[in-house]
Formats: sequence, C-alpha cells, structure tokens
Amino acid sequence: MRWLLNIWRTLTKPAKYLTLGTISLSAFLMGIIFWGGFHTALEATNTEEFCISCHGMESMPYQELKKTVHFSNSSGVRATCPDCHVPHAFGPKMARKLEASHDVYGWLFNTINTPEKYNAKRLEMASREWKRFDQNKSLACKNCHQYESMKWDSMSKLAQKQMKRAAETDQSCIDCHKGIAHTLPDMGTARAPELIAEVGRGVSGLQVGQTYFSALTKPLFFNDKTDVEAGTLNIATKVKILEVKGNRAKIGIDGWRKKIGAGRVIYYDFGLNILSAQLTKDAALEEGVIKTFEEKEDPMTGLIWQRVEADIWTDSDYLLSDLQPLWDYAQSTYDTSCSVCHTQPAPAHFDANTWPGMFQGMISFVNMDQDTQALVQKYLQEHSSTFDKSAH
Amino acid sequence: MNRRDFLKGLVGTSYVVLSGSSVLAPLNALAASGADASDGWLTTGSHMGAFKMKRKNGVISEVIPFDTDMYPTDMINGIKGLVYNESRIRYPMVRLDFLLKGHQSDTKQRGDFRFVRVTWDKALGLFKDSLDLIQTKYGPSGLHAGQTGWRATGQLHSCTSHMQRAVAMHGNFVKKVGDYSTGAGQTILPYVLGSTEVYAQGTSWSLILEHSKTIILWSNDPYKNLQVGWNAETHESYAYLAQLKEKVAKGEIRVISIDPVVSKTQQYLGCEHLYINPQTDVPFMLAIAHEMVEKNLLDNEFIEGYSLGFDKFLPYLQGQTDGVEKTPEWASKICGVSPEVIRDFAKVLTKDRTQILMGWCVQRQQHGEQPYWMSAVLATMIGQIGLPGGGISYGHHYSGIGVPSSGAAAPGAFPRNLDDGQKQLFDSTDFNGASSVIPVARWIDSILEPGKTIDANGSKITYPDIKMMVFSGNNPWNHHQDRNRMKEAFFKLECIVSIDMNWTAACRFSDIVLPACTTFERNDIDIYGSYANRGLLAMQKMVEPLFESLSDFEIFTRFAALLGEGKAQEYTRGMNEHQWLEMLYNDCKASNEGKFEMPSFEEFWKAGYVYFGEGKPWVRHQAFRDDPEINPLGTPSGLIEIFSRKIAHYEYDDCPGHPTWMEKVERSHGGPGSKKHPIWLQSCHPDKRLHSQMCESTEFRETYTVKGREPVYLNPEDAKKRGIKSGDIVRVFNDRGQLLAGAVVSDKFPQGIIRIQEGAWYGPVGKDGSKEGGAEIGALDSYGDPNTLTLDIGTSKLAQACSAYTCLVDYEKYQGKVPAVSSFSGPIEIAL
Repeated sequence: MRWLLNIWRTLTKPAKYLTLGTISLSAFLMGIIFWGGFHTALEATNTEEFCISCHGMESMPYQELKKTVHFSNSSGVRATCPDCHVPHAFGPKMARKLEASHDVYGWLFNTINTPEKYNAKRLEMASREWKRFDQNKSLACKNCHQYESMKWDSMSKLAQKQMKRAAETDQSCIDCHKGIAHTLPDMGTARAPELIAEVGRGVSGLQVGQTYFSALTKPLFFNDKTDVEAGTLNIATKVKILEVKGNRAKIGIDGWRKKIGAGRVIYYDFGLNILSAQLTKDAALEEGVIKTFEEKEDPMTGLIWQRVEADIWTDSDYLLSDLQPLWDYAQSTYDTSCSVCHTQPAPAHFDANTWPGMFQGMISFVNMDQDTQALVQKYLQEHSSTFDKSAH
Repeated sequence: MNRRDFLKGLVGTSYVVLSGSSVLAPLNALAASGADASDGWLTTGSHMGAFKMKRKNGVISEVIPFDTDMYPTDMINGIKGLVYNESRIRYPMVRLDFLLKGHQSDTKQRGDFRFVRVTWDKALGLFKDSLDLIQTKYGPSGLHAGQTGWRATGQLHSCTSHMQRAVAMHGNFVKKVGDYSTGAGQTILPYVLGSTEVYAQGTSWSLILEHSKTIILWSNDPYKNLQVGWNAETHESYAYLAQLKEKVAKGEIRVISIDPVVSKTQQYLGCEHLYINPQTDVPFMLAIAHEMVEKNLLDNEFIEGYSLGFDKFLPYLQGQTDGVEKTPEWASKICGVSPEVIRDFAKVLTKDRTQILMGWCVQRQQHGEQPYWMSAVLATMIGQIGLPGGGISYGHHYSGIGVPSSGAAAPGAFPRNLDDGQKQLFDSTDFNGASSVIPVARWIDSILEPGKTIDANGSKITYPDIKMMVFSGNNPWNHHQDRNRMKEAFFKLECIVSIDMNWTAACRFSDIVLPACTTFERNDIDIYGSYANRGLLAMQKMVEPLFESLSDFEIFTRFAALLGEGKAQEYTRGMNEHQWLEMLYNDCKASNEGKFEMPSFEEFWKAGYVYFGEGKPWVRHQAFRDDPEINPLGTPSGLIEIFSRKIAHYEYDDCPGHPTWMEKVERSHGGPGSKKHPIWLQSCHPDKRLHSQMCESTEFRETYTVKGREPVYLNPEDAKKRGIKSGDIVRVFNDRGQLLAGAVVSDKFPQGIIRIQEGAWYGPVGKDGSKEGGAEIGALDSYGDPNTLTLDIGTSKLAQACSAYTCLVDYEKYQGKVPAVSSFSGPIEIAL
C-alpha cells in the first residue's frame, strides 16, 4: 500500500502555488474548454452556412445543388456541402481542413466569384473532387448509401444490373454518378458523354507490360511530346503499354493490315475488317513504328494481308483495364437504338465482314455519336457469327 | 348437302347474324357522344406528312397541310376517312369456330368472315391461353410474332414495338430478317458497295442539280413514291424535283427514264423515255458494259484503284466463259432496245457527269440481286462514284433521301425489347433444331414445309413448324404473294391474332381480332422528316378512341397484367403516356444540348413542333473516293466488288460470283410462259396509298376506283383485242388466282404490260362471283389485289426475297355475275 501513499503525497504536496493535482485538473478542464472551442470553431467551418457565405460558393455550386435530389426530395433528408466534401473521420478531416487553405486563397483573390471564372475552373475543381472521391471509393456517398442495404427489387432492371456489378467490386460511386449534385464541367474534348459516364475516363497509373482497351477513338502521336498526330486508335482496341512518360504512353498495337496503298490501316485479325488503328502516311512509313511479320492471302478477297505491330504514342487517358463495360454499353445501345424501326438482328446473324455494310447501311436512321457508332459496329463484329457459332 | 349450304344452315339456324350496322352517320354520332367537347386546331401527322386538324363538336372536321409543307400529298384528303370508316374494328372479336373449339377449330372456315363480339378480358384471355398452349406444346418455334411491317407513325405508340415487347414477356418466338420492299437490294449491295444503300442517305439534291448533266431514272418513280415517308414526311424533295423540271425544260439537264411504262415522274418532268422489256435490265446493262469496253469508254483508273474483280467479270462479258458475247445485238433480242440505242446510251452515260437513280422495283423479281449488282458495275466503269452529281443511288425516291440531314439527335422510342433481367413466363430458347430467324418473305414456305433446310445469304435456314402468328399494324394479306397458297398455309395454323384499327384482309383471316385506335386518338411525338430530321412533331390527340378501341400501349399493358403480379408495371416501366412522351422529349433535348435549341416539353407541346433547321449538302461515297484506304467500303475487301469471292464460294446456281443474266421462270415479251399468259403484271407501290394503308378510306378511294374496284391500267391495243374499254370490269387471271378490277385504258402502258398497284384490299368472294366461298382456294378477288396473282418464290439462294415482279397473267372482259366488293364492310357479326 506504500506506493499508493507515495502518490497521494506527491499529489497533495504543495508546489510553489498550486498542487500538481490542481494543475492537472485545471489543465484537463482547460483542455476541454479549448478543445470545445476549437471543435466549435471547426464545426462552424463545417456547416453549409459557412460554405455558402462566400459569394462564389453560394451563387454557383449551391444553386446547382438546390435543383438536385440531394437537396430536395420526398423524404426530406438532405445532404449539405460538408457531407460530401469533408471526410467524417478525424484524421482525414484535419487533412482536408488544411487543404482548404486553397479555398481561402480563392476567396481572398476572387478566383471563382463570377460564373465565367467559376466555369473556367470547374473542370479543375471537379477533377480534384472526383480524385478525392476515388481515393476512398466514394466513402462520403457510402456514409449514407450502402450496397448492402440496397433493395434490388425496387430498382429498374437496368439499374439492378449496373448496381449489382458495382457492388461486387465495391465500386466507387462517383465512377458513374459524376454530375449528380452539380453541373458537369465542360469536358472540352470529351466526346460521347453518355458512354464515358458509363465506362469512366480510364485508369490512372498505367502499368507497363499490361494490356488496356481504348474507351474512345484516340489520337496517336509520334512521341511523348509532339502534338503532330500520327493517326487514330479505334475505340475498344486492345493495346499493350510499353512505356509511360508524363501524360503520354507508348503503346503496342497488334494486328494485321492489307497490303494495299501505304498499309496505314491495322485490323483486329487476319482477313477481318475490324478496325484497330489508322496511321497517317508519314507514320506508316516512319522507321520503327511498324514491325512486320508473316503474310497470307485472304481467300475471300484475294488480297494479301500482313501481320504487324505498331509501336506509337497516345495520351494516357481513356484507357480501360476491362473491355466488358464497353461491350455492355454497346449492347444496350444497339438493342435500344436499332429496334425503333425493326427487330434488331442478333449480332451473330451476320459475320464480322458483313456487319460494316449492314450497319453503315442503316445508320442514317440511328441516333449515335461517332464514337458510339464505331463502338457498336465493333461490338457487332466481335460478337458476329465469325466468333459466335450459335446462330441459326 | 355441300359445305357451303351446311355453313349457311349453321348461320341460319344456330346463330343470329346481326345485320351490319350502318356506317358514317352513326359513327360520327358515336364519336361525338364520347368525345372531348373542346374544339379547335391541333397538330399531328402521319407517314403522309404533317398536318393541322380541326376538331368540331368532338369530331375531326377538317385536315389541312402543315404550314411548312409546300408540297402536300392529296392523300391527306383520305385521313378523316381512316378514322370514321365502315371498316373500323369496333370491339374485340373472335372467329366463330375458334370461339367454339379453340385450337381444334375448323381452319378451313377462316376467311368466311364470321366473328363474335367478346369483351376485352375475354379476348386478351384467349390470346394469352393460346400463347400458353403453343409454348407448352411446341415451344418458341411454334410462334411467329416477328412478321412486322409499316405501322402508324409515332415513337411511343409504334404498334410493332408494343406487340413484340409484350409477347416477348410471355415467351420467345420466330422473327424475320429483311423486308418486302428491298429484300434483294439490301442483301446484295453490302457485298458490292459495302452498305445496304437502299436505306442510306444519298448525295444531296442541290449538288445533283448543280453538277449532273444527265440523270438516269432507272425504273424509278420518285414523284409518286416521295408522297410518303417512314416518319412524318416533309415533302422537301419535291422542291428539288420542281427545280429539275425547270432545268429539263431549259435543256440544262437531260433526264432519261428507263422503264417499261411512262412513269408519273416522267410525265411531271417532261423528260425522255427509254422503253425496256420487263425484267430484262441485266441484258441491257451487260450490253452497255460491252459497248463501253469496245469503245474504251470506261474509267480504267477508277476501276483499278477502287474496285476488285473486273478482270474476272470481263471474260463473261466477252463470252469466253459461257460462249455468249453480251453484245448490243444479243441484248436487243431480249430487252427490246435496238442495238443503236444501246450503243448511243453507252455514250450518253459516259459523256458528262451522270447520276444514276435506281428504283426498287427491279430488285423485286426473280434474281433481283443481279440488276442492282450490274448497275453498280456500270457506275464503277463510268467512274463517277463519290463525285457530286455522279455515281449511283438506290434511294432518292424514298423518305426524303437526298434532303440533307439536320444532324440533330432524334428521339428514342418505346422499347421493343425486354429490359435487362426481365423474366419471361416461358423462357425456352429451344427452337427444336429450326432457325429462330427466317427471311421475311419465306414464312409461308415455312408453314407449308416445316423442317426443310434452305440456303440463305451464306447460311442454312431450317424452317420452324409455325402454329400461331401474331400481327400488329401489319397486313401480310397485302404484302405477301399468292393468296391461294397463303390460304393453304393458313389451314395449318392453329391460331392467328391481329391487332389493327380497321378490318384488313389479315384480320379477316385471323381468329382473334383486337381493335387498336388510330394515330389521331392518342398523343405521340414523331420525327419530322426521316432522313432530313427537320424537327420534332407533336401528334396531338384529336378524339378519344372510338368504340371499344384502345391504344396499343393500353392493349398490351392489359395483356402484360395477365402475365403476373407487377408485370403491367414492368411493361410500362411505371410510366403513363404523358410521362413517356415527356421523357422521350427530354432525353432528346439532353442529347441536343448545346447543339440544337429545344424548348421545354410544355412549350413544344403547345407549339406543336420543334424545328432543327437545315442540313449541309453531302456527297455519297466522297470519303471513299478521297481515300479508299482510310475510308474503305463495308465490303470484304473495302473496295467495290465487281466479282465477289465470298458470294462465289457459296456456290449458288442462282447467284454466281459476278452479275449474270439468268432467264426468269416467267417473262413476258417472248420469255418463258408468255405463250400461255402473255401479259406482265406490274404491281408497283401505289400512288394514292401507302401500301395497303388508306385503301379503306371510302371517299378518297372513290376518287380513283372504277366501278368501285381497283383500277387496272391497260394498253389500248391489248384492250381492244379483248373488247375492253375504260370503265369495264376486267377479270385478270393466271394459274394462281383471279381478280376483278376496273379498266383504265392508257397509252402510258405498252403492249404486254398491265399495272395494278399493290395495296388494294383483298376481298374474296366465291369462284363464280357468288357471295359465299371467299374462304376457299380459287376464290375470286372482288376488289383487285394484285398479290392474288403474284409468284411466291425467293429471288435466289442469296436474298430469298420477294419476287412479286416475276408474274405473268392474262385478262378478259368480265362476263359473269358481278359481286359486290367484299373488302371493306367488316365481318358478319354472329350473336351466340
């Protein structure tokens, strides 16, 4: 019991003015008061009221939010700015608050105080937010929306299909739901917005040696810097990453070409008019771009085909690790768009080389942008009777 | 007692025949009683164009063309008569014997037109029970619900989409591929020019007018056929035809119509005529090609750079492969064009910029692939494909092709397909080893010879054993060939369901008939101008559905409800007519965001239309011409295929590897069969109808009929030989059938040729003209449907398409008992 007595003595022993106990107690109380104040102050910056006290925030993003289901809905539950834009856990919240110095700078120097200025920075700001959402698989969304609690039966069949697939991989919500609370930025060159909303803008951090698939028809370049185009990579084409430098990647495209003209067009496989890439004349003739292998005559046309590999540069965006989302999008677009006038033939009704003629012969009636057209045609070709022998 | 007397007895004793209720006045009155009383002008449209309709006292009182329609068709005068019509299906009805005996009914009675009125619940219940029975007993190969055709316009209420979605919720079924209009063309041209061409946008008229020096109308009558379109037609093509007429008058453009008859377009333009014997375009074309080679009039550079296989075709042309050199002298004996004219024509084609405009008729005959293929070869030899005002088109007579597209996004439509993951009541996909998709015109063959395997487009097709058909807004008893053969096939069917607004012949030969309302009894939206895509049109409901008719949307929502709990909701995706329209509009608006200004749905509906503006002129195949490597055609080689190795490797005797002249099973002017039946029957697209749509519109029909019958156009000398003058009733016949029609004697029709336009409603009566016996094989058609006489064979093993133009007949002045026309009066209503 002696040690207990010693402690008591130490604590009760008068210091110069106060006992250590008194000091500790006061410190403890002070701590509570200080923490309370800090917390109150912090929480004050964590209210919507605070967020929209800046003109820039009130006049643009807040007004946009007000038009969405996250602001007004039948259940009366709503999301405020910090619910989505500030992490709920302490550590990340602190980190986010430190980052917010950015916002203060913006406020001080009026960088987004007019709609024009706001729109000019919209893509930059949105991209930062999307990246943040991606880093924790859209945790901010999942604080309210959980895959486990979703009632599949009350969803439409289409939503079910998409959501179940997303749930399997615990997919980040923002992958598909960009623009759910604020106006989508003008993506500039981003084409086929519905398609991209579905399949995303590609993976970040391409792995050398891995294969990827193009989510759009993409420009090709001679090297990692130049803007001089060397051709185009068709949508849904498999490429291998050979090298990554900054925002460019050197890719290898395997395929076959017809030995006519300059041999600028690379197709998916021997004798199949499934487009992989088209090169400019200069690129096709440039040393080191095209490696050539064996040659064969196509019995259906009498043309000579040659196996090739093109090694060439492209921007590192819009490259997907998985082809299936592209096919899913193509299939649903085909089924919907091509059944307005007639029953759409099954993809395996024609062979790969007949589809371009059939598809191009009907396309005037159909409502698809260029990328989607190219994708649907490729989907039909790669699911044609050439590959799927189940028809008839 | 013979069967007919027995039937008469049945009707007389066991059942009461309800006397046919009188027509227009009561219809109007009935309409008025149930209608919205608000009057005024509303906007709507149809295949015939956009128009304004006036509603007065709850009935449609006036129809006038839309303000933007500078060249309206006079068919709009027939619109009102479609709504208030003695042929209207007033309530659900079931064929008498089917109601009594179901799938064990006497199918030979089908077509006797005795029907019993039932409730909607009863009719839809019978429909569903029949589907259950078929799926259980035979599986999906027993059901064909894929025989679809032209419908009424409207993106939401498109009747074929509704029927196919609902029936697919029940189970799977046999479907078709191709269509009757362009079956051979849309199959051969992808091999040759890399696209269907028939449905592809063509070089803009403005560029043709600017650059062409010569325009060839090849069996092509755009002035007649551009009156209608797949969507609400804008009729803008007519402005260009008017300019062309001026240029022809001034001698700036030479237009030559190659045709057995003087077409409506030729008469309008005042252009030249080059007569050719029917079905002999290929020998004529071969001889032109021969002459081009002889006189070196061909563009060798173009042939070399843009096509494949000319070297394999040349030996045939020069007679090295078959011992027959395709000289103008050789061709002249077949096609009836003198060697001098052929030689001169080769010069005409190659002298200056020449635009060839092909019609669709020449491919609707046996070996119909060949004239299309050979015309592409001619155009390649001329070498102007891809130049403004040069080359070849297969569509300038259709739906405004040649009017530049606005480029706006068009609205979507109510889905034809099941939604992802939707469960079917019967989900079997086992077609018993038969094909699930058959060429469109081969379904009667399939019913008659189930299990038979045929060649089609490089594949083998095995005919399914079809036991039940469902038709919606579709009248195969117009567009299919050979009525008596159809009857034989229909004897074998257990159940036929038709959903339509008026009593078409297809309804007459059905077991369950469901009344759909007309376009003007529901709200919808349509694309204004199929290829022009000039804007969106509001189709505003004029009156409530007449009698017990319902919209297709409502019919199949009720049907879906029979499939189980929540199925109606699944069918409609939980949205009503208004919500669907608003969604289709807003989706379209979103797609056009930033490109084409579209007001809110409410504002659009109030205005009645949105205008997207005009498109930019465009040249077909220009990109290919500019760079054939980067912009290859959709052919196997990417080039024009004069010789197709792919087709050659199918080894079809009736479609070899290059264009070939093959004799027809029937051909006039000295060809096979012409001794027995010397007259060629031309059954072209009608001038006053869209196929069979509008034939029932009484007052409008009476503007062109002869003694109440469809006109048959006769050559004066042929008619005189037979003692026939205009206004006489003529019996047209061959070994396949017989019909009555009203004579119009006209020098526009050369000897050995008659014209009866397709789309005339089949109205069978007894063989000898008596009222009874219309259901029997050999019946006399009282109105004049040319497909009573046409030949039901495939064009070839390639396309297996319809060959209606290979048809010989003879005719005489009708001396027998003149029957009343039986096509339009609706059924004999029996009360049980």
